[in-house]
Parts: sequence; C-alpha cells; structure tokens
Amino acid sequence: MSVPPPAKAPAFAIHRRRTRILGLSLDQCIQAFFGGHALTAVIVLTLITVFLFKEGIDFFGQNRENLRIYRQSGMEYVDVLRELERDHTSLTRYLYDIRLRALQHLTGPGGRSLPEANAALADLDALVERFGDAVVPIRGFVSDYGEVAVGIKTRFIENQDFAEAKRQYLAAGMVAEAEAITVAPIDFKAEVAAITGAFPEFEAGGRDLAREVASTVQQLPALPTPELQHRLERFQQLAREYAASIDGRLEQMRTWQWDRPVPATQAFTAFIFGRQWLTASFWQDWYGIVPLFVGSLMVSAIALSLAVPLGIGAAIYVNQFASRREQQLIKPTIEFISAIPSVVLGFFGIAVLGQALRALSQAEWLAWVPGFPFAERLNALTAGCLLALIAVPTIFTLAEDALNNVPRAFREASYALGASRLQTILRIIVPASLSGIISAVLLGLGRVIGETMVVLLCAGNRIAIPDFTQGLTAFVQPVHTMTGIIAQEMGEVVRGSIHYRALFVVGIVLFFVALLINFLAQKIVRRHRISIG
Amino acid sequence: MEPSAPLAIRVPAPRDVGATSTIIEIEDFNFSYGAKQALFDVNLKLDARRVTAFIGPSGCGKTTLLRCLNRMNDLIDGTVINGGRIRIHGVDINGPEVDAIELRKRVGMVFQKSNPFPKSIYENVIYGLRIQGVGSKSRLDEIVEKSLRGAALWDEVKDRLHESGVGLSGGQQQRLCIARAIAVQPEVILMDEPCSALDPIATAKVEELIHDLKKDYTIIIVTHSMQQAARVSDKTAFFYLGRLVEYDDTQTIFMNPANPQTEAYVSGRFG
Ligand SMILES: Nc1ncnc2c1ncn2[C@@H]1O[C@H](COP(=O)(O)OP(=O)(O)OP(=O)(O)O)[C@@H](O)[C@H]1O
Ligand SMILES: [Mg+2]
Repeated sequence: MSVPPPAKAPAFAIHRRRTRILGLSLDQCIQAFFGGHALTAVIVLTLITVFLFKEGIDFFGQNRENLRIYRQSGMEYVDVLRELERDHTSLTRYLYDIRLRALQHLTGPGGRSLPEANAALADLDALVERFGDAVVPIRGFVSDYGEVAVGIKTRFIENQDFAEAKRQYLAAGMVAEAEAITVAPIDFKAEVAAITGAFPEFEAGGRDLAREVASTVQQLPALPTPELQHRLERFQQLAREYAASIDGRLEQMRTWQWDRPVPATQAFTAFIFGRQWLTASFWQDWYGIVPLFVGSLMVSAIALSLAVPLGIGAAIYVNQFASRREQQLIKPTIEFISAIPSVVLGFFGIAVLGQALRALSQAEWLAWVPGFPFAERLNALTAGCLLALIAVPTIFTLAEDALNNVPRAFREASYALGASRLQTILRIIVPASLSGIISAVLLGLGRVIGETMVVLLCAGNRIAIPDFTQGLTAFVQPVHTMTGIIAQEMGEVVRGSIHYRALFVVGIVLFFVALLINFLAQKIVRRHRISIG
Repeated sequence: MEPSAPLAIRVPAPRDVGATSTIIEIEDFNFSYGAKQALFDVNLKLDARRVTAFIGPSGCGKTTLLRCLNRMNDLIDGTVINGGRIRIHGVDINGPEVDAIELRKRVGMVFQKSNPFPKSIYENVIYGLRIQGVGSKSRLDEIVEKSLRGAALWDEVKDRLHESGVGLSGGQQQRLCIARAIAVQPEVILMDEPCSALDPIATAKVEELIHDLKKDYTIIIVTHSMQQAARVSDKTAFFYLGRLVEYDDTQTIFMNPANPQTEAYVSGRFG
C-alpha cells in the first residue's frame, strides 16, 4: 500500500513574465518610446542653437574687419569732420524752428501780413544766414576728402574680389586666368596721408568756424515773445558749447592713427551698443542692434500695457463674475483671436487701425494726449495695439487658469468673514494666483517679442532710435524691430556676407530673450507651487 | 473634557438651566439647488448662547441649512428659496434691505476642511477686520491676542505670529480658522463638521473650545459623530431627507427620542 506523494504546494507565481521585443522588456520599450520623444525635442533645440551660432559667430570677425577698413581707409578720420557738419546742421534746424514759431506768432490772428512779418524778422534772418554760411568750408572738406576715403575703401573691396576670383581660378586649375589677375596691394599709410596731410587746412577751417559761430551769436536780435527769446538764448548757449567743442575734435584728428588696431571686443560692443543699423550705404555700414532692440521693446511695452489690463481683467471677470452662459461665450471668443493669422491682423492694421488711430489723434478733444496728433499711419503704437490682440489670448487663458487654481475654500472663507466680492478678489484671489498671473504676462511678452508679421507690416520700419527727449511722443514714431529686420532683409542678403551674419546674430539675441522669458516664467510658477503645497 | 468614550454614547451631563432666548427662527423653510429641492418645510427655533447640533445621514441637508443661515448659498448659481423664511433677532435675513455682507459679519462660519489663507497667522486672524478698514496697529494686536486666546491657540503660536498659517498642524489650522471667525465678533458661529479631519486630541481641544465659546456666542454645529453631538450640544436637531425629523434637548434625543427614525439613527442602526 503506497502512500500518495504529498501534493506539491502550488507555485508562488510572482515572477515577471518576460515579453521581449528586440531584447528589451516591454517596460523598457515603453520607456524608450517616450524617452525618444523627449530626446528628439532636446536634440532639435540643440541643433537650432548650434546652427544659429555656427552661422552667426563669424559675424564678429567680419565686423572687426569692417571696422578696421573703416579706420584704415580714413573714413573714421573724415567722420570727425562729418560730425562737426552734422551737429552744425542740427543747430541750424533749431534756428529754423525758432524762425517758424516767430513767423506763426507774427502772422497769427489779428497779426501782420506775411511780407510785414518777414520784414520784422530781418535781423533773425541775417543771423540764420551768417550761421549757415560758417560751415561751408567744412562741408567742402567733407565732400572732397570723403570721396578720397571712399575711393580707398572701394579699391580695397575690389582687391578682395580679385583675390577671391584668383583663388577660385586656382582651385579650378585655371592657372593662366589666375595669372592674368594682378592684385595691387594698397599702401594704406601713403593713401591715408593724402587725407591727413590736409590737417593744417582742417585746423584753420575748424578755428574759423569756431570763431565765426561765437561771434555770430554774440548779438541776439529781439524776438516778439519772451518764450521765443528764451529759445533763442538756449540756441546761443548750444552754439557756444558747439564752438567750444571744436578744439577737442581737432585734437582728436591730430592724434588719430590710421594703424591703431581694432580690439576684438569692439566688434562685439559695436554690435550690442551700436546705435545705428545702416546697410548698403555708400559710406560705412553699421550693425548696431540698439535701434532694433529698442523698437522691439517699445512695441512690446505698448502691447503689454494694453494686453495686461485687458487679459487679466477679462480673466477675473470670467472667473469671478460671469455666469456660465457668459463664460461659454467669452472664453472661446478670446481664444479664437489667437487663431487669426497674424498677416491678416497686419492687413487690418494697415487698412483700418493705422488710419483710425491717426484720425483719432487729430481729434481736437484728444490734443492733450502726448504725441497727438501724429502724421505717420504706421508706427509703434499701431503695431503695439495689434500685438496686444495677439497677447491677450495668451495672458487671458493662463491668468484664468491661475485664478481657477485658487482653492474655492479661500473664496468661501473670505466671503464668510464678510468680505465683498471686490475685497475677496483683490485681497485673496489675485495675491494667491499672483505668480501664475506674472508668468502669464511673461509668456504674453514672449509671444509678442517673437511676433513678426504684424510688426513688419505695421511698425513703420524706420531704423532709428526714437527721440525720447520728447517724452511719450516717442511711442507714436515709426520703429523697426528685431523680428521685422530679419524677415525683411534675410531674403535680399548675400549668403555668408557680413550683413547675412549680422541678421543671424540678431536671431541669436531674439532666441535668448525668448529663452530667458520662458525660463523666468517657469521659475516663478515653480516657486508658486512650492509655497502653496 | 476627556477625549475618550469612543464606543458607548456617554449620557450627557445635565445642563445648567439658565433662561434661554430664541435668536434664530426658521419657519417653513424650503430650499432648492436649481430643480433639486434640498430642504422641505423646516421649522426650528435656535437658542442664543447655546450649542445646537445638526445630525443626520449624509445628504440630508445639514450643510445646506447651515449655509442658508449666513446666505453662503447666494454664491452658488441657481439656488432658490421656495418658501418660508429665516429670522435672526426677528429680522428676515433674506429680506430686500438686508446686506448679505453685513449678515456674514454677524454670523461667522468655520468650515469642514480648515482653510487658512496663504498669509501669516497674524494676517489670517485680522483679515475680517482689515476688510472692515480697521487700521490701528495696537487695536489689531490686541484683537489678535484675544482671538487666539479665545481659540486656545495663543500659547502655541505667540512666537510665530508672522509665519504662514498654512504651516500649522491640521488641528491648529482649524483653531486658527475659529480665531479668525471670532475676531470679527459675530453673534453666531456656524461650524460644519469642524473636527472631521482632526485626530482625537485635536478634536478634544476644539470641543473644549466650543464649550468655552458658548458663553459669548450662539453655536450651531454639524456633526456625524454622535458622541460629539452628545458631548458638546445643548439641543440637537435630527434631519432626514431634507426634513427636520426631531428637535429637542440633546439628552432627550439620545436617551428618549420620540421618533423611531431618530432612535434608529442615534443608536447606530442606520445612517
Ligand atoms: N452645490 C450643490 N448643487 C446641487 N446640489 C447640491 C449642492 N450641494 C448639495 N446639494 C444636494 O443637496 C442635498 C443636501 O446636501 P448637503 O450638503 O446639505 O448634505 P449634508 O447633510 O451636509 O451631507 P453630508 O453629511 O454628507 O455633508 C444633497 O442631496 C446634495 O446632493
Ligand atoms: Mg455637509
């Protein structure tokens, strides 16, 4: 009789069942799938950065060369004289302005006839004429010696082209053709001496100018109002300062050296702090980002100053006041704005908004607004208003989310303590969601700074730093922006040229500004999460 | 008061029998959330400076009635009072000339889940006064101390008044909310399950506090704990499916209820 073997205890089956794909377990496959997506994003970002830098970085070398030629061809030297002339011109303009005001005053209501008024201003006219004549010799120098300098530079560039052609022939094995090209090296020292040799003339001319200006403003004619007289005295003071500055400028010319090296950093500082963006000019090309940066900043500032109250106000309304019905109407409407192609907004800006704003600015009852009336249809204000439209949905949506995240319990506690709706919003809800709101604004700013089409079409595209001395008037002047300049000029430049690379560097700056804004926004939101939790 | 007696319902001690006066009268009160009616013909007279407990199974309308007493339900879309009225000191609180904001200053509320603002302890306590425009620093300091002492929290937080109120323990947070409510010196304090998220020791502290507050305030407390109702309240109202089933002295409700439903509920046979 056999005892049946004891039944084997059932296995404790907790071992992982292994499904393997390409030698990876299922878990690893899933991980690889999602990790792959994340990795792609990182790689793309890196590639973009690398590409931007690769194309842009050569700019600084080229710009240094550009500045070197500017110096060695003597343009820098002539520019001292040119600036002397330019400053004189702006003084003359100031004088014309005074004359115009005086004339307007004299021929004003109940005033004299035009010939009478002109006769009354004869003294002033004499002053204007004498002041204007003083600069004539300098103007002659600038034009004569400027031509010499441009000649030197042109020959240098031709030489570069010849050398390049020769190199290409040699590379192609066409030795005979290469031999045929002779590059005559330029003796900058001798060439520039043709300009600097005339220094005694310049010096005499400068001294004459200083003397003439000083003596012209010695005696001021009498003007009809104290206000005008005051302006004229201001002119007198400016003219004296101008005359006094001439010695310094002459000294600058005397000590000028054609072969002083251009430090490498200057290629960089000339870009970052350069106040001129001037390309394809007959004289010297400048690549200074300041006017573009300022333009972008101004347009964004206008856009945000409109979009922040609108977006946050709408978010507060929808979140705190609106009935469900209103919410269902307002939210999709605002979010729909972001679906409008920006080029359509640009059209709208050109065809409608610019016109309307200009008409509005000329309205009598709005004359007190700084900058009103203005004549330019397309300017920073027009572009800013349209960009505000673009920023509103971003700010609205994110701010509404932030408000929504405020626990309902805070609201109830506030009401239960006898707070009104406004008090609850201002003291509890907005502070509790503040960091979310701030990052909403930052992301709105990021959206606006990167926007291209609208600014290209509506900002007026004048590359100049607006005149901030007139206060808010600057905001109704046309500007150009970093995005606009890239879109406008990238299509026309020669690949690899300094201009092409300069545009890339502008792109790099833009890229970093956007990166910085997003980084800040994320950081603020993260800190907020910690403080709530 | 000891936090124990976890199983058996302790027979409430006989209460001091002082003269009582009615402060809140609820008459034939009906209330709906949109189409869904939550309260039916509730009639109730609540005594001043007493603790009244609302008990009943989940969803029977205790919170709803409580929130009607300071019109917190105004904040919910689509709520309707379809019949009856609530009077406090004889004034119909839903009357056209009543300002809900003023009402809420007189009728404070403590919520089920403690909800201090993400501000300092000090700012939490004086919030109700700040919004009333009280600015005097010395007066605010004084009220903060008085309210925190009143909420039996002073000794624990007096050295960190300017730290965040969110950093306190759950029980401390709930007492902070009570301090915040009494800082505006209401007459009535509504408490909706104030101890449901607290451990027994914190619960005991809050119950003790309720006992002390009774001297100055009329307290209405919603609770799911029979023991708690028995321990803290003078009168108890039992609700079922939106109707008031029975309302009497707590002792009577627990020892000798008139209605069999009440009997079944308090003895734990349903609910
Ligand atoms: N905001 C609301 N909207 C619609 N119906 C609601 C709302 N709040 C409560 N109700 C309903 O009203 C009825 C009473 O709810 P109430 O919150 O007053 O019950 P309760 O007695 O407090 O329950 P509990 O003990 O679970 O807190 C329930 O049927 C509930 O579903
Ligand atoms: Mg409830």
